[in-house]
Amino acid sequence: MATREKYDEQQVVEQLHDPTTCRAAFGKVIEHYSSPLYWQIRRMVIDHDDANDVLQNTFLKAWTSIDNFRGDARLSTWLYKIAINESITFINKKKVMAQVSLDDDDSFLVNSLESDQWFDGDQAQTQLQRAIASLPQKQRLVFNMRYYDEMKYEDMSEILGTSVGALKASYHHAIKKIETFFSEHD
Amino acid sequence: MKQEESQILNQIGKESGFKVPDNYFEDFGKRMENMLPEVEITNVNAKPSTWLRIRPYVYLAAMFAGIWCMMKVFNNFNGTASNQLRVNEIAAGIQVENNAEDFLMMGGASDYDVFSYEDSVAMSMDEPLPDVNQP
Repeated sequence: MATREKYDEQQVVEQLHDPTTCRAAFGKVIEHYSSPLYWQIRRMVIDHDDANDVLQNTFLKAWTSIDNFRGDARLSTWLYKIAINESITFINKKKVMAQVSLDDDDSFLVNSLESDQWFDGDQAQTQLQRAIASLPQKQRLVFNMRYYDEMKYEDMSEILGTSVGALKASYHHAIKKIETFFSEHD
Repeated sequence: MKQEESQILNQIGKESGFKVPDNYFEDFGKRMENMLPEVEITNVNAKPSTWLRIRPYVYLAAMFAGIWCMMKVFNNFNGTASNQLRVNEIAAGIQVENNAEDFLMMGGASDYDVFSYEDSVAMSMDEPLPDVNQP
């Protein structure tokens, strides 16, 4: 059984900027980040196939613009930003196709959740996904990053370009709205 | 973080209910690597050549040399122009002096004026008038 090489971000970033090692280094990036990015995307777009497409687009975009990545920000921050932008672009396209106003929340994404073969959540988990989908897009992002990924506010701040205070307030509002959603749909 | 979460969320837990196909991430990595197109990467780790290292200084020196040359040309132009002006002024001054001299020595006083002056002197001394028509 092949043992996985330890992931050293600094070394990988250096290898990414060397034409002889960049492809292999990007392979390590895919291996290391595909899971966290997938789950971030999946919680936004809900459907597995959609998440798979968005994740592919994320890595393709990162690869084709790798020359622009100079290492000023962390690689993870840069990848999360691309993933979030790709997710939002995908959701907005899907809204247009589903003839849903761009100003509406993303609840329409959860409509087919129960019939999704890659979702086996119970009633409470389904209801929680409905509640999360009813949040404004940025609150959804903040809630998912904090609640599921337990990401630090400082890291979220770098990715979303929002102050830590605003993120804490956003998370607090998201929880209140989810509680209200549950009390209204009991 | 527990303090900021609600009772409902604590009951549901962090499990979202989402699943992925078996070996999804392993397969995804292989598929993704095959999908990557050829891209041109600039080697930022490579040691720069001597020319690349000295290039900014050469450009800076060339810029100062250019400025110096421009100033030199500008000063030369100004010097030539002012010198020429000075020469013209001097020449004009000499001309004025020459004109005055010419006026005084040659053109300024006519024979009539000289005779008139001598006549007036002679008349005042009661001397007979000379015959101006005699050679």
